[in-house]
Amino acid sequence: MRAGTLVRLALAGTRTDHLRTTLTAASSALAALALLAAATVLAIKGGADVIGPDGSYSRTAGAERYSSPYLHEAGLRPGVAAVFVVLSLLVLVLAGQCIRLGAPARDRRLAAIRLAGATPRQAVLIASAETVTAAVLGSVAGLGVYLLLRVLLDRRTKEGLLLLPTDLLPPALTIIGLLLVVPVLAGLAGAFLLRRVVISPLGVTRRTRSRGPLPWPGALIAIGFVLFQVPGWVGLGIGGNGWAAMLAVGGVVCVLGVVLGTGWITYTTGRLLRRFGARPAMLLAGKRLIADPWSGSRTLAALLASVVVGAAALGVRAGFVAQFDAYETMDGVSAGADEGFYLGGVDLFLIAVAIGVVISTAGTLVALTEGIVARRRSYAALTAVGVPTATLAEAVLWQVLSPLVPALLVALATGVGAGQIYNMSDQAATVPVGALGLLGGGTLLMMLLAAGIGLLVLRSSTDLEELRAG
Amino acid sequence: MTALISGTALHHAYGPTPALRGVDIEIGAGEVVAVTGPSGCGKSTLLHCLAGILKVDAGEVRYRDQDIALWSEAARSRLRRTDFGMLFQFGQLVPELTAGENVALPLLLGGAPRKQARATAASWLERFGVAELADKLPGTLSGGQQQRVAVARAMVTEPQVLFADEPTGALDALAGERVLTAIVGVARERGMAVVLVTHDSQIAAYADREVALRDGVVDASGLGLRMSA
Repeated sequence: MRAGTLVRLALAGTRTDHLRTTLTAASSALAALALLAAATVLAIKGGADVIGPDGSYSRTAGAERYSSPYLHEAGLRPGVAAVFVVLSLLVLVLAGQCIRLGAPARDRRLAAIRLAGATPRQAVLIASAETVTAAVLGSVAGLGVYLLLRVLLDRRTKEGLLLLPTDLLPPALTIIGLLLVVPVLAGLAGAFLLRRVVISPLGVTRRTRSRGPLPWPGALIAIGFVLFQVPGWVGLGIGGNGWAAMLAVGGVVCVLGVVLGTGWITYTTGRLLRRFGARPAMLLAGKRLIADPWSGSRTLAALLASVVVGAAALGVRAGFVAQFDAYETMDGVSAGADEGFYLGGVDLFLIAVAIGVVISTAGTLVALTEGIVARRRSYAALTAVGVPTATLAEAVLWQVLSPLVPALLVALATGVGAGQIYNMSDQAATVPVGALGLLGGGTLLMMLLAAGIGLLVLRSSTDLEELRAG
Repeated sequence: MTALISGTALHHAYGPTPALRGVDIEIGAGEVVAVTGPSGCGKSTLLHCLAGILKVDAGEVRYRDQDIALWSEAARSRLRRTDFGMLFQFGQLVPELTAGENVALPLLLGGAPRKQARATAASWLERFGVAELADKLPGTLSGGQQQRVAVARAMVTEPQVLFADEPTGALDALAGERVLTAIVGVARERGMAVVLVTHDSQIAAYADREVALRDGVVDASGLGLRMSA
């Protein structure tokens, strides 16, 4: 198959397909923008601590032209870059969720192409090519926006300091590499989502596991906690590469534990609803949750990752507060500027988490809407036999919220636990219950909003005409 | 007549439900064979097994003396693109591609240049009297027009065997007759074998021979649709 044919087949589609392509491209543009921002921060030179032969302390030059204190110190810039990388990953998850949008129509098209003689590999290639093409276009658009923002945001303070590092570019090879990373990751995500999909000439089916998920991901959370302790046990210097790597791996393992564990939570919630549910909506929701327990992991992955990271940041913040309180009690002097610097840094990080929650909720909304649209015939059939739309709406809400609440609690506990372990302070920090409640409650509220918007498509999906549609 | 394609002791089940229970069938080059029988007797399953769409649970599907049941999914897909043509009750055209693109699709998937594929597709569309519809989307065509485009697509690679599963099932009598006449005409002209699945005795009458199925086995009574009609 020639490249032109591949692109033509990949981009052939209905309005929903074009919406999916547009959303994928937009997500890729945002991801590329965030990655370029991270690379720009890492391209800043100077600000490293140097101790002279006489024991005098100084900093290497180069970063003092920026107004933000978080760009001055070489040790802090990887943290700032990490925030952008995390944001880009969340946006990429959103792109992954966009891939499922309009899946039934695409599945029919792929089956028809298989019937015309496409091999299974060609069918997967066509499905992935759409995502990769959209991601390439998005990446290039992201570069365009980045270059435009460099000009628009090139501002200085009264002292002549730059507000942002708009005066430098990452190395050309880094830019090219980052622009390629986004389509490659999007393509891999697409192939990953298709791994259980069998595209045959007679239709598209999904291989399902007959066995329900097990609670083993809980062990991953424990392993993550252990990894957080390792730097202390083996004496890795705070701020060093080994220390940062261990914390990053520990964090990823904890997040994986929470996300994969949501499969078991979803399955168990479904079984409980089936067993103890007194209302038809609960029984319907329970059946759906048991039938596809990994839907929770898929749709809530980015949201739960944001909550884990946010709760960890709150745990770290509580540690800083305890430390500064201890200094004040000991010396009777306020930490002042230091306190503002460190707590301000964490607060900035929490703002990034809030943005992450919003992005993740958008992804969840896409997934929820797609799920309703994909099952519109089932909903129409239920309506045809007399199930009220209100019952179906209630079932959708149960389906979304019943696994979300326990998963949120696990995410909050994991995050704050990791944050407490990370604390370099030897002071016992109190658990920031109020802030955690705000994070959990805010996330829940966002999800309620997303579910509410998702329910708007339920009415059209229960139209009896759906049963007549070919 | 030497068999071009044959099935021996074919078994296939959907979960616990058997669909084929030891079917033997032989089709020679240029022969038009109707597979008939009541609904649920295994006609479509037999066609899908012979065409390599479904894998048999047991038995042999031999095409040009090779057991294609042992081939990989990809190899069977390539065979369907080069040597077999497929036609279903509903054209199964790709709704987002124009009629011309649909007909050219098997050639394009095989790596043919776009211009050449479009030209070949256009000649086949003309052959079936739908050349003027080349730029139309399938959704804008009538059932009969869609089916003629589907026939053109099935023929575009000049297959050795055409598998047609109830090809006129969704058409009115006149449109159905036009489609069948076209299929059989091309088959006779090019020496192409046709396996025609139908439950309609009038359609079975277009075939040289009839194989009747009942409950997943060949009906040994020999009382096919033509006999009973």
